[in-house]
Amino acid sequence: MADEFAKGFGILSGAGLIWMVLAGWYRTPSFEGAQLSGAILVESPTVYDKIGFFLMDAMFWFAVIGTLTFWVLIPAIERARATLAERGE
Amino acid sequence: MSDNDTTEARTDGGTGIVPPDDETPTWSERKTRSQGLSRLTYEYFERARREDQDLRQQSSYVERDVLAFPAWPHEMIRNLALTSFFVGMLIFLAATLPPHIAAPANSSQTPAVILPDWYLYWSFGLLKLGPLNPELSLLGGQKLMADRTYGVVANLVVVGFIAIVPFLNKGSARRPVEQPFWGAVGVTGVVFSITIAALSIKNLMPLDANLLFDLTFLVPPVAGFVAYAVLRSMREGYMFNLNRRYYRLRPPK
Repeated sequence: MADEFAKGFGILSGAGLIWMVLAGWYRTPSFEGAQLSGAILVESPTVYDKIGFFLMDAMFWFAVIGTLTFWVLIPAIERARATLAERGE
Repeated sequence: MSDNDTTEARTDGGTGIVPPDDETPTWSERKTRSQGLSRLTYEYFERARREDQDLRQQSSYVERDVLAFPAWPHEMIRNLALTSFFVGMLIFLAATLPPHIAAPANSSQTPAVILPDWYLYWSFGLLKLGPLNPELSLLGGQKLMADRTYGVVANLVVVGFIAIVPFLNKGSARRPVEQPFWGAVGVTGVVFSITIAALSIKNLMPLDANLLFDLTFLVPPVAGFVAYAVLRSMREGYMFNLNRRYYRLRPPK
């Protein structure tokens, strides 16, 4: 159980950090405007910019889904499996 | 290495050299291995545990049940790892997300919003207690002191209350659950420091100013009451004796 927590937490903080940096580059137009959630204002994105856009979204959803997987989904499956095993005996 | 094997108890760390048993590799043996970080970590802690166990068995101490690890290398390696991580994180963030540098301050123009640093918001909020300053009929509807003076006196009242608390309760409880009333007093104070800080930035809060003023003084007692109820309900099943024994284990002052 503790391992699952550490994995989820590692995903949340690691992927969240990369997402935060990329969103700080692409989705923060100014200091006093929207933070990390503004529209992308790059005129003509290069290949590196496009990779950055992709990684930004990928890391965001990895942080959300990965954390949910390790903190909710896997423990729920384990508990369901244990319950089923108890009933089977 | 094993020449140092004496029966004398070493409780201060000292050189920390303890002859290894069969299962525990020496430092140099461990260096030659390349079985991966998990194995290394296991061996490191096993070695530390073994040294600790030996120290305990040799020790003439009775009361202290933990002799602790020596500062070098055990504590220092951990501290260096943590320090390296945070320094690296600072450099990483400073390099990837350089902070915004605003235009230089114009000393001939007052900014639209003036605020102290955030940790002084509570004191700043106490300066906005004008509505609480009573208009005394004895003085013909006059106030005893100006609102700003009243705010400064309110600071003295708050600081004075905080200074008095240790004299009202000497703090023998090890956990809030042992003295729910004083735990609730603490919760009330903490919540009040937050609500009064919110009051100090009332022009930035998305709330009606009058409602915010009322909530500032209504929320802390409610939070304290809830904390008291929760702590009282937690008393059932709390092992006071176990905690008292834990307290006795601590070294005397």
